[in-house]
Amino acid sequence: MENIRNFCIIAHIDHGKSTLADRMLELTGVLHTTENAQVLDSMDLERERGITIKAKSVRMPFKSQDGKDYILNLIDTPGHVDFNYEVSRSLKACEGAILLVDASQGVEAQTIANAYLAIDAGLEIIPVINKIDLPNAMIDECRQQLQDSLGIPGNTALLVSAKDGKGVNDLLEAVVTLVPPPKGDVNEPLKCLIFDSFYDTYRGVIPHIRVFSGSLKHGDKIMIKSTGQVHEVDEVGYFTPALTPTEKIQAGEVGYVGAIIKKVGSIHVGDTIVSPDFPATPAIPGFRHSQPMVFCGIYPISTNDYVKLTAALEKFQLNDSSIVYEKESSAALGWGYRLGFMGMLHMEITLERLKREYGQELIATMPSVIYKVYTTDGQFSLIDNPSKFPDPSRIDRIEEPVVKLQVIVPNEFVGPVMELSDAKRAKLVAMDHPDRKRALLTYDFPLAEMITGYYDKLKSVSRGYASMDYEFTGYQAGDFVKVDILVKENQVDALSFISVRQSAQPKAKGLIHKLRKLIPRQMFEIPLQAAIGAKVIAREDIVALRKDVLAKCYGGDISRKRKLLEKQAEGKKKMKMVGAVVVPQEAFLLLLKMEE
Amino acid sequence: MRGLYVHIPFCVKKCAYCDFYSLPDRQSAMQSYVQALLIEAEKYQGLDFETLYFGGGTPSLLGAENLRVLSDGLRKLFRVGVTLSLDTNGTNVSGNLQRDSSLDFHRSQNDKTEATIEVNPESAAPDFLKAALECGFNRISIGVQSLNDAELKAVGRIHTATQAIDAVKQAQAAGFQNISCDLIIGLPGQTWRSLKSSISKLLALKIQHISVYCLSLENETPLADDPPENLPSDDKQVELFEKAAALLKSLGFGHYEISNFALPDYECQHNLNYWREGEYLGLGPAAASHLETIRFKNKPDLDVYLKRPTAQTTEVEQLDREDKAREETILRLRLLQEGINLSQLRQKYGMLPTQEIVDNLAAMAASGELTREGVTYRLHPAYIMTSNQIFARIMARD
Ligand SMILES: Nc1nc2c(ncn2[C@@H]2O[C@H](COP(=O)(O)OP(=O)(O)OP(=O)(O)O)[C@@H](O)[C@H]2O)c(=O)[nH]1
Ligand code: SF4
Ligand SMILES: [Mg+2]
Repeated sequence: MENIRNFCIIAHIDHGKSTLADRMLELTGVLHTTENAQVLDSMDLERERGITIKAKSVRMPFKSQDGKDYILNLIDTPGHVDFNYEVSRSLKACEGAILLVDASQGVEAQTIANAYLAIDAGLEIIPVINKIDLPNAMIDECRQQLQDSLGIPGNTALLVSAKDGKGVNDLLEAVVTLVPPPKGDVNEPLKCLIFDSFYDTYRGVIPHIRVFSGSLKHGDKIMIKSTGQVHEVDEVGYFTPALTPTEKIQAGEVGYVGAIIKKVGSIHVGDTIVSPDFPATPAIPGFRHSQPMVFCGIYPISTNDYVKLTAALEKFQLNDSSIVYEKESSAALGWGYRLGFMGMLHMEITLERLKREYGQELIATMPSVIYKVYTTDGQFSLIDNPSKFPDPSRIDRIEEPVVKLQVIVPNEFVGPVMELSDAKRAKLVAMDHPDRKRALLTYDFPLAEMITGYYDKLKSVSRGYASMDYEFTGYQAGDFVKVDILVKENQVDALSFISVRQSAQPKAKGLIHKLRKLIPRQMFEIPLQAAIGAKVIAREDIVALRKDVLAKCYGGDISRKRKLLEKQAEGKKKMKMVGAVVVPQEAFLLLLKMEE
Repeated sequence: MRGLYVHIPFCVKKCAYCDFYSLPDRQSAMQSYVQALLIEAEKYQGLDFETLYFGGGTPSLLGAENLRVLSDGLRKLFRVGVTLSLDTNGTNVSGNLQRDSSLDFHRSQNDKTEATIEVNPESAAPDFLKAALECGFNRISIGVQSLNDAELKAVGRIHTATQAIDAVKQAQAAGFQNISCDLIIGLPGQTWRSLKSSISKLLALKIQHISVYCLSLENETPLADDPPENLPSDDKQVELFEKAAALLKSLGFGHYEISNFALPDYECQHNLNYWREGEYLGLGPAAASHLETIRFKNKPDLDVYLKRPTAQTTEVEQLDREDKAREETILRLRLLQEGINLSQLRQKYGMLPTQEIVDNLAAMAASGELTREGVTYRLHPAYIMTSNQIFARIMARD
């Protein structure tokens, strides 16, 4: 065990974690060339967007200059705040963390947030400044920022270029010397933590584990501590990054275990695996629960697909334990689920993954935060779905979730950032200067305002230089109303939304206008209305369709005309009926992106 | 009932809106094309046809000589122009066969034998019209499109209003007593004034049939690539169409199919057969056929057709009974006067395959989109211009 080193790479988004991992894989001979960059970003979505979504483990052999052979287990983590839960779980499988700082960007919001996560988890931190090949690298500033914002001695930071590989060998040597070897006894009863998992059609649930004591091999019996269920081990192995079977894995190691666990839901990320011979082995404290910030309803386009959706969600959750979901139903959309996400990007990615990996064609309703609604009878309830709001007459007051938002921004952009934040009802609570050139703005920020495009705007007003991090702090009262949308007098519950009273009307007008463009003209006039209670605050009408006819000369080519009509009929099937009106699914999808 | 369609895929110049299979600058191939047609026709030797239709393209570009060669050749292979009488359902009640006589084509008011040739105004020369008559054609369809020079020019038609009027007069002078003209609704700059004037002038010439088509922007046509600003909107087209229909009806023309108006007894038998799910053979590239419930087409490619006229079949389509019944339903609903008779539909396709259609029709009658008279359903006039919505619902298979 003395020769094992478990570490992860953490950083702000885009600081070069996955690229650094590429160089390490090459240098240790795990991969010969990594022509395609960021090999660990293996998901299509990751490649398309150039970001890491899932943390990934990989084992590398390393011969150190001290002459000894080491087994290094690296976990590449995502940098985006929405995938933070991946980071915090990965930390549990490591003794050390490489804290990467982009030399051209400096310490940013997630650098700080992730560094604290690692420090709190008791990991050895190795500060590293990356991208030193860039002409605008500011190495000295980075050293100073590490010192000022994190109290990490800046002069200890190693310098690397993940692009050209400079300094990477020294970095691996540093991992060997600085990261402590794992503790734990091979001869004690088995104890493993499940820190991730996925579902394989043939082999069932495959947990990713860190073994803390004992060992595990083919034929062993294992017990899932939380449920008491016992399974027989079919295969153990480690990641290269592909699943690579091995004879056994033991205390200190990171790997996976296959036990033909077909019953989804019988095993969870955060569970402890023990030996049924020693059922009293204490569980390892699991993970704090994820705290979803944004919620939306998802519904199968065809109501018959509800069962499939249920199965897909169960499997999906094995691979993304940060989502939460529960059943819900909508008058307009039928049976579906309400999902909770860490943020808007997480929501977008999840919907896309459900579509691609599970073939689920979904309608997603407008995202909402959780409101605390006090009714006149003195009770309160937490409501994550606008359509569940009580009648306005029964509402005493409404509170909304607030986050503490920290923005690090170069001094010259402080003005625009403040302007933007003011417009979002944010309250500035502090302004500090972590270094000479930059300001750290701390806000009390209504979460609902943050999820409607704040991040994108922040990036654009600061030319990409601002970075942000946030955490939930509590609830605060406000003047809110629920806006209902009516399509030809029928209320579409899935389109209801909550807004501050002041901006309810402009929002409603914008939405109604978009809807008018999305819903095709039909045989009758369709009034579209937005209303608060009984009071209509916006209205547009879709005039009746006048022309949809084949009135063209067509010398007997009837198949072609028939096919056109068939296509038209097919298209209709993909739409939802709201009363007599057919509403295309885009009407629900596009509203996701509603801003202002 | 079976029709024969012959496609003449040649035009002097392409009109801006046209997506039919027709080629400019290829008239030098006319003679060999006629030979190719006859070779293809041989493949179907022995079939008989009740109607004949030369369409295009521009059949008047054949010229008198080619026209003679072609119709003589066809008449040797087929029995064309059987005198018969038809019931409204298109079944051949009595087939009194007479063949090899060009006289068959000159119809009396009572027999339904029909042979149509399309001509364009600029090539409707007297000698060609005379030849057509001698070849047995008894109906002529003239591509007038508009009697407003600016409108004609805007879509690249190569004739003037005066030429179009002259063509009608020439046809009458030659002896045609069954004349149809095409009009287009939605031409650039068209107004009700100009359309009304086109219609009035045409009717003053005492023609028997008018087809009124709505201009549509078809992919990859010059008009779609670069639509002029004064193109009437869809809503405007509907307004123009409805006014035109009302005017024609007031003058005694029956609105017997969505795009077609005729004086009593002058409905186009060849086209009626299409809407009645009848059989037809199409000769020439891009021509469509429907024989023994199978639909197929020739490849739209003149060059390969000239090389191997008998090996161009493509897009063969055989629908199951249920879809066939749906197809027939939507086709017959286009026949505004005739409508669709449920008991005949059931007789033809059976109870089960027509069940959903019947339910659908009943529901549509209840909602006012169709009218019902006994077991006959018809499209309600108010829904003509949105009839695709109705047809698409009939086509939808759960
Ligand atoms: N010039 C230069 N570019 C680098 C270096 N390291 C990474 N990059 C580039 O920085 C961008 C981001 O790199 P990634 O490795 O995907 O960053 P990441 O930290 O894994 O990003 P997330 O996983 O999304 O948080 C890519 O375009 C890399 O090519 C470096 O040392 N020098
Ligand atoms: S004359 Fe007829 S077939 Fe020829 S290009 Fe014009 S519209 Fe098309
Ligand atoms: Mg990455």
